Amino acid sequence: MCDHKNIYLPHLATIEEIIDETPDVRTLRLVFQDEDVRENFTFRSGQFAEYSAFGAGESTFCIASSPTRKGYIECCFRSVGRVTEALRGLEAGDTIGVRGPYGNSFPIEEFYGRNLLFVTGGIALPPLRTLIWNCLDQRDKFGDITIVYGARSEADLVYKRELREWEERSDVKLVKTVDPGGNGPEWDGKVGFVPTILDEAAPSAENTVAMVCGPPVMIKFTLPVLEKLGFSDDAIYTTLENRMKCGLGKCGRCNVGNVYVCKDGPVFTARQVKAMPQEF
Amino acid sequence: MIDLAKKIEAPATIDITAYAGATEAIRAEAAKLLTEGAVAAVIGYIPGRRNGTAIPAIVTSPEKAQELIFSPACVNNLALYLTRAKKEVKGKGRLAVVAKGCDMRALAGLMGESQLKREDVVIIGVACAGVYGSGADRDAPLAEKNIARKCRECRVHAPEGADVVAGSLPPLPEFSPVEAEELARLEAMTPAARWAFWKEHFSRCIRCMACRSLCPFCYCEQCICDRNRPQAVEATPRPAGNMAWHIVRAMHLAGRCAGCAECERACPMDIPLNLLNRKMARELKELYGHEAGLEPKEKGPLNEYREDDDQSFIK
Amino acid sequence: MQKTITEQNLRALIDLLVKKGTRVVGPRRAGSITLYEPLASGGELILGELPRRSAKEAFFPLCENILSFEKTTEGVKVADVDPSQFPETVIVGARPCDAAAPGILDAVFSWDYKDKFYLERRRKTTIIGLACTSCDDACFCTSVGLSPADPRGSDLFLTPLEGGGYACEAVTEKGEKLLAEFPQLFTDAEAAKALPQAEPAGEKLDLARIKSWLDGNFENPLWAEISERCAGCGACAFVCPACHCFDIVDEGGETKGCRRKSWDACGFGKFTNHASGHNPRDAQPKRYRNRIMHKFKYYDDKFGKTLCTGCGRCIRACPVGIDIAAVLEEISKK
Repeated sequence: MCDHKNIYLPHLATIEEIIDETPDVRTLRLVFQDEDVRENFTFRSGQFAEYSAFGAGESTFCIASSPTRKGYIECCFRSVGRVTEALRGLEAGDTIGVRGPYGNSFPIEEFYGRNLLFVTGGIALPPLRTLIWNCLDQRDKFGDITIVYGARSEADLVYKRELREWEERSDVKLVKTVDPGGNGPEWDGKVGFVPTILDEAAPSAENTVAMVCGPPVMIKFTLPVLEKLGFSDDAIYTTLENRMKCGLGKCGRCNVGNVYVCKDGPVFTARQVKAMPQEF
Repeated sequence: MIDLAKKIEAPATIDITAYAGATEAIRAEAAKLLTEGAVAAVIGYIPGRRNGTAIPAIVTSPEKAQELIFSPACVNNLALYLTRAKKEVKGKGRLAVVAKGCDMRALAGLMGESQLKREDVVIIGVACAGVYGSGADRDAPLAEKNIARKCRECRVHAPEGADVVAGSLPPLPEFSPVEAEELARLEAMTPAARWAFWKEHFSRCIRCMACRSLCPFCYCEQCICDRNRPQAVEATPRPAGNMAWHIVRAMHLAGRCAGCAECERACPMDIPLNLLNRKMARELKELYGHEAGLEPKEKGPLNEYREDDDQSFIK
Repeated sequence: MQKTITEQNLRALIDLLVKKGTRVVGPRRAGSITLYEPLASGGELILGELPRRSAKEAFFPLCENILSFEKTTEGVKVADVDPSQFPETVIVGARPCDAAAPGILDAVFSWDYKDKFYLERRRKTTIIGLACTSCDDACFCTSVGLSPADPRGSDLFLTPLEGGGYACEAVTEKGEKLLAEFPQLFTDAEAAKALPQAEPAGEKLDLARIKSWLDGNFENPLWAEISERCAGCGACAFVCPACHCFDIVDEGGETKGCRRKSWDACGFGKFTNHASGHNPRDAQPKRYRNRIMHKFKYYDDKFGKTLCTGCGRCIRACPVGIDIAAVLEEISKK
């Protein structure tokens, strides 16, 4: 008798809606097919899942929607490989597999009563967007919320409709920017790289936690700016995005030193990241 | 070419004291090149921890050059380290390489494929009477029972085209040509029997890719079996993928393989990969009169299209 | 008094087990090499050789289906793998370095998420270990704290005796069950003297000292020195009794196929390669460093165990002569 379930077996989910964020970045809104799963699936902001396009394989992305929005989950991905291309080939109504949720999460309860600063670039907004909505949906628990978001060009900004929504809200401050040359005639945001724009915006570090997510080069130049602004390494959170297969701490490829990103992460403080071997 | 009469008179074991001379000459040449700054590194062999073993070494100082050796344990084809698959080594600068006669063929092939320029490498050739076979007794004198199969029929004991040749050849015994016999047996099989033969061998493949990793000609930036859009070769060690991989390997090396047999030596599952290589080489010789590695030619016959190519097989 | 078994009866034991439908795995001739494979009869058992690959594949096969899928007009149907298909298994003649490995691997396959594929096979498997009376110059089990007569990991442990036959030690309940099930094959005897056990040449290594060096030397010129010769194949990992890294891939057709778990190796360049092209371990020395770190530091940090049993297979298999025992010896002197 075997009392263990097959940990590699995904839940089945139906693609309810497809939203093209940019020409190559797509959001899938997924609804679990099994009623029990649909009602009982819970996750926390920061956790990830393994999404399957059957026949092509599995790919790892964060759960990009907020746990406060019930009944569905969303993932957001750029098509760059075999699985993401296959996922892109699917249509609304098609079935995909979802294993998860896996990994740790942002300790949102520890953020109650504090100001929040989100710094992110390009396709790295989804891992923070889950947390942003999570906080906005319980807005009274937090202080000021500031979002600094940049992309190479206007076209590369993801969640454009939500950016507009955040801009229009008075209880959140959005600073959006595009790299020099990435702005069109209608652009009403900043022009410049994220670290520079963050430096200009100079949000206070007082009682603030910063969430930083972006390409390695953005993170590299953002951390010194945060430090200058007075953020301690314990008040800065980021997520690591290593190649994963199992997501379960077994297949052996996502480790950074003795840290298994799939189990011990993907959310780490800057202090934790600095203590790791610099191999990510 | 070794004089046949001399072979017949030779003893049944090979006097490996001749290898000591090669060691001295390699050390002297390597130290000279490194001292003069003519090369950034010398790729040679140093003793392994275990008795009777030698391992590839990338030597960058004249002092370290005194550890270099040549012995029947020097089995590796060091041409591997001159390919772009070994960027870390190539990046060091101009290189010298210790090459046995059989290794020279791979160097010639790499030059023919524009992977290597003759002027960019100093070739320290070494006179080689033979090396140990896989799993051979490394304590016994080099003889019939422990010499590598490829060495039994070697025709290139003294390397040609090297910058210097280290050592001299001892008298060489005549060995029965087991590789030729094996190839004859393979060719005598019916196609069905041959298919069964390879199917059986390839079923043991575990896809560790040692054959690819050790091959001087497997330097593709992205091997077709690592591609997955579309997936041409299934990645898992199962019959279909294994067969596809080994066919791809054999075909892509046909006319290019220099016969060093490193694939076969590296295979932890003892798949006779060089038998397949030799069969392909024979086909290429019969069909196109082509033999790989004799001189730096531009391309092998399967890598080149000519308007007057025989097209009668297209039906 | 001690239980003993003759070689003839050991082979008879295999025959009886096979007859009752048990899968018996043991060293068996496969072409020119020996592998742990299912035995059709006791006569097939090879006693004097260490198989080319380890016994871990009895629990963790090279490649296995973890689910199958089929796309129909109504959607995708996914089928689980029925664990009852894993047969009751007896591994006969596992050397101490192989018998000890599952005890090490249990940790990774059962922490938090339980891998039923491994654990269910493990539950259904009885290991008959066999002490070594000979070794070669690649063997280094004694260096990593094991020994050629170490019963750890075996359920029933056999020690070759002078004049033939084996002393049998039931190490676990599973072992006792086996003794009780086939009493006619075992004799209560004043045991003959055991044959002297093999004596691997290497000194016992101070693994704590090695680990403490690894703790502080992620960056060290040693890594490049050892591994610039590394050709980046997976031979070392694939013959290793303790390497557990794997890949998960979908194979078959577009509409019908299987998801498979198959062995992978940290020496492969694409092992950690992101789809974007970014690769955290973008050079061979980084990959080799991970191999040593995983075995002698990371696994210890996580599970308090060393991911190596000193079987020496990677040393024998490495086509460029990388010798893990030599590497450890060098580190332990630092």
